[in-house]
Amino acid sequence: MDLKFLASDRVEALVSHLMHQKAVYAPQRMGRHSVALDKVTNPAAVVLDYSRTMQSVKKYFQPPRDELLKFDLTDQSFAAATVEPLDAVLLGIHSYDRAAIDRLDYNFSQGQPEKNYLKRREGVIWVGVSYEPDEFHFSGSVGIGPLETEGFDVFLSRVGGGYQVETVTEKGGEILAGFDLPQAEQGKPSPGHFHQHIFLPQARLNEVMAASYSSPVWEETAQKCVGCGSCNIVCPTCYCFNVEENVDIKVTGGTRERIWDGCMLREFTEVAGGEVFRGGLAERQRHRVLRKFKYLSDRTGHPWCVGCGRCTAYCTAGISIVSIVNRCVSDFEKHPTTAV
Amino acid sequence: MKLNELIQPQEPRDLYLPTMATLRDIKPLNALETLYTVELPGGADLGHQPGQFVEVSLFGVGEAPFSISSSPTRKGTFELGIRKVGLLTEKLAALKPGDKLGIRGPFGHGIDVERFKGKDVLVVAGGIGLVPMRSLINFVLDRRDDFGRLIICYGSRSDEELLFTEEREAWKKDPGVDFHVTVDRGSPAWAGRTGVITTLIPGLELELGKTVCCVCGPPVMYRFVLLALKSRGLSDESIYMSLERRMKCGVGKCGHCQINHSYVCQDGPVYHYPDLKSLEEAL
Repeated sequence: MDLKFLASDRVEALVSHLMHQKAVYAPQRMGRHSVALDKVTNPAAVVLDYSRTMQSVKKYFQPPRDELLKFDLTDQSFAAATVEPLDAVLLGIHSYDRAAIDRLDYNFSQGQPEKNYLKRREGVIWVGVSYEPDEFHFSGSVGIGPLETEGFDVFLSRVGGGYQVETVTEKGGEILAGFDLPQAEQGKPSPGHFHQHIFLPQARLNEVMAASYSSPVWEETAQKCVGCGSCNIVCPTCYCFNVEENVDIKVTGGTRERIWDGCMLREFTEVAGGEVFRGGLAERQRHRVLRKFKYLSDRTGHPWCVGCGRCTAYCTAGISIVSIVNRCVSDFEKHPTTAV
Repeated sequence: MKLNELIQPQEPRDLYLPTMATLRDIKPLNALETLYTVELPGGADLGHQPGQFVEVSLFGVGEAPFSISSSPTRKGTFELGIRKVGLLTEKLAALKPGDKLGIRGPFGHGIDVERFKGKDVLVVAGGIGLVPMRSLINFVLDRRDDFGRLIICYGSRSDEELLFTEEREAWKKDPGVDFHVTVDRGSPAWAGRTGVITTLIPGLELELGKTVCCVCGPPVMYRFVLLALKSRGLSDESIYMSLERRMKCGVGKCGHCQINHSYVCQDGPVYHYPDLKSLEEAL
């Protein structure tokens, strides 16, 4: 494998090189403590050494508010929203967030393929970066290591003094062409050490989660949960949405938009007349966790949780998805016969 | 297998754009429910199965799923029976013939009528559950030779809330229809039967093995009707159930209608009962 070396003091030059070819979106510091993905206007603002952004790259393909159509109330006509390809370099993306996009691609492509999402997905060059797992990451337990290059065109692995640069695809080679880099030293950087683990091989997770259906863990979690839906909103593989009408101030027209929604919110399953099909927080927690570890995994063989740790890191009540799953695992090992 | 290998490449489509249809007729069914007759541009056929639904929208108000009440055998227009219960349905009730409304669909898995052919068809409908079941009932009546007996059990909270008065009278008189109706609480004017819908089931004349049953009603009804049907000896395989959920997008994307792993807008709303047994949240 041909590995190049990017010294830390040349990151800015690389960003400029990429910006000459396409728009670049990358992690940048927001305030004193946060890092967020944003369009790059100043190459010096890019931060490649970070633990996580609150929102993943999902926001570029399924925006929090996404116009579906514009309507005219005077003649009841409408026009479809214009959707443009992102057509940009996504720089400094962690492997779990790239894996999350594979999952969203599946959701929006299978059955009836959806134009709004898939159109925006076009023209993206993925430049990944490795990370040092913090107290919340557990991607290793779902098979996505910090050095996983799957889905990337170029991958940057942190080493002393800078990054090893691996050109993964032809597209990656094209975007780097003309940017001279010296050969890297031999050997891969360390794959990072995870502090959080789900204690079970992936292959048995579905079985464990099926057995967990009537576990007391859901009611116990519900005792702490406030039902705010933060876990849904920060999850890179949550894609549920609601649809809203926005009428302009003159009441002559407006837009129909979809907005992010979350299965932890009570109204999520409410129908006309007031029936709520998952009225309890315990049922909603179970649905959230089983969607990540059972329902979609049964169908595809892949867990729908990518181990980013966001739902735990941003939970307003201190609920940990790793603790919930590990509790299900230990209950299963104690009483495997209760499996359904 | 990798996730991207599981995807069948297909041309992406605009899934959320409605077809602008015209309201042709509005007929009150009782104080709360109204029957809307809708025509697609050029009188195009909706092409639905009994049990399927459409998404109806009014610009600036919203969009919601409604089951189709007319039989696919009756072309040119289709009918929706809608209860006035929220913002969108209030606005729908204020429309006049000639007004426009947005339609997407038909969506979902309806009743596979081919599998009902040659069988006695038992319909158990509670409240506005009769609205989608009317599509099946009229389908059977229009293709009378394809089916055995038609048995209808209809329950309502009160006689004031009963739907489709003229059609009920016709079913009552039709020698080919075994029609039973009950109300939970009758007004002083009610001369018919009083009691919940399950009380109709023990007295039915059923030919086991030849009967298929389709159930639709309020969520609380299913478990009790199921017990009553099974105590009559009907097999799980002979039972179909149409379930209500919040089918916001209709195309398996928005997540609202999920029952465990199943999307009601894709696998339902009509389920074969054996398939529901693995869905703990269903009934």
